[in-house]
Amino acid sequence: MSAPVTPPPPAAPPATPPRDGPHPRAPLLSLGDLSVRFGDRPALSGVSLDIPRGRVVAVIGPSGCGKTTLLRALNRMNELIPGARTSGSLLFDGQELYRRETDPAEVRRRIGMVFQEAALFPGSVFDNVAFGPRASGFGGDLHALAEEVLTAVGLWAELGEDLDVPAVSLAAGQRQQLCIARALAVRPQVLLLDEPTTALDPTATARIESLMHAQLPHLTIVIATNDLRLAARASSLTAYLDRGELVEYGPTETLFTNPAHPRTESYLTGRIP
Amino acid sequence: MKRFRHHGPVSAAGSVAASVTLATAMTLIAILLVQARGVLDFGFLLGTPSRFAAQAGIGPALAGTLWLTLLTAAIACPVGVGAAVYFEEYAPRTRTMLAIESAVANLAGVPPLVFGVAGLALFVRGLGLGSTVLAGGLTLAMLALPTVLVTSQEAIRQVPTGVRAAAYALGATRWEVIRRQVLPAAAPGIVTGLTLALARTAGAAAPLLVIGAASFITYAPGTPGDPLTALPTRVFAWSARSQPGFTALAAGAGVVLLALLLVLHLAGMALRRRLAGAAR
Repeated sequence: MSAPVTPPPPAAPPATPPRDGPHPRAPLLSLGDLSVRFGDRPALSGVSLDIPRGRVVAVIGPSGCGKTTLLRALNRMNELIPGARTSGSLLFDGQELYRRETDPAEVRRRIGMVFQEAALFPGSVFDNVAFGPRASGFGGDLHALAEEVLTAVGLWAELGEDLDVPAVSLAAGQRQQLCIARALAVRPQVLLLDEPTTALDPTATARIESLMHAQLPHLTIVIATNDLRLAARASSLTAYLDRGELVEYGPTETLFTNPAHPRTESYLTGRIP
Repeated sequence: MKRFRHHGPVSAAGSVAASVTLATAMTLIAILLVQARGVLDFGFLLGTPSRFAAQAGIGPALAGTLWLTLLTAAIACPVGVGAAVYFEEYAPRTRTMLAIESAVANLAGVPPLVFGVAGLALFVRGLGLGSTVLAGGLTLAMLALPTVLVTSQEAIRQVPTGVRAAAYALGATRWEVIRRQVLPAAAPGIVTGLTLALARTAGAAAPLLVIGAASFITYAPGTPGDPLTALPTRVFAWSARSQPGFTALAAGAGVVLLALLLVLHLAGMALRRRLAGAAR
């Protein structure tokens, strides 16, 4: 049922069931008729889908189709854009995230995000990793945490086990690894990756891919990408968005080999109407 | 391929313009130094004003200007940077807000004299502070505020949106994003603006004359409540006298003021370099 993958397979039967929530099989995120408008311009129109725990879900579609808006809707990042309005429901572990009394900062600690542009903070690698935990009042050993997450993304040895390396001295692929490490340092349950490999070469892309799989099944990953091969290799479910609408959503293998919708098929074969 | 140092007409015109600028500044300083020769010594720096040119010094005025600069920085920095943070990060982008913002920014072009008039009404009489160092500091802070505000806003705007987005995405609150990312990254630019503003206020005589700077004080102000005196008003008072010797005194006080501004700029540069190093 899951797509064939080259790097470590996504541990099909989870060795340890996810700890959180009484219903391990219930979706972790559930979108109900979720719409986003920027002023008068609709960016996302009535998207409903369920995201299961411990899986990689890929969001594909042409540029400007709303992939980024969908991802940003999942951790309430859109509301930082003036004029953005969101409607519909978003359940996380059964709890509505779009309520007035819900703290968006808390939402973003549970549902982290990495962007296409690896926007590093000034300072060292450590400064980058420590920012999130410090902001959420982490009281433990920051150095141990930094070592742990940098090991998880494969940077620890590469940096010569040195946390004081200036972040600006890293190569493009390493920067994105650092962005993922710093997102992991907040210990999110979901990680949103917005075209994380667009600026990277194939080797760096392969690394990001394998480190994603290393985080499963404790982490749930939603990745928006223009790289169809990456989506096919790395995800178990794929959503195809076009002009802000969810056209098709299902198991990656089915969607790629036998799409139900003609629009999906024409996109996958490169014949965009 | 063109050489990196290409000597075209634009480059030639540019170097002429640069030379003229430099020559003007050098001439000014040279004239001051020539006029002030024989005046600059410790007695002059520490001495008090006198009816006799040979015994006169700038001690109280120097202390007054140091006090004023300190007070101006202490008031204009938190208020100006705070307002910049508010306008850039918190204020809703409504038409009213934009109007307020541009009105405040336009205060930067208001002549210092006008701030003196406002300071006289507000601080000297309104708050009943009298012609004190504190009233002078508050007036000069008003003068510095628009510059500090506009340059701080500019510095805050330069912080990449990606950095803000990344910080928010890590679960930081708005205040944490501002405190830990925006302000440290904007700090070098803020220091530049503060240095410029303080250079402008340290040399301003007009507003201090309007609020009643004393021209003859024989002791240095020890607290902000002491009578107001400053270097620029000292220069003004001496240059208005016709007796020989006082021209040299005015030039001497001018040289000390220039030296003070140089120290201010060097300190600003050093601080900026440190902050930029910390933010890299």
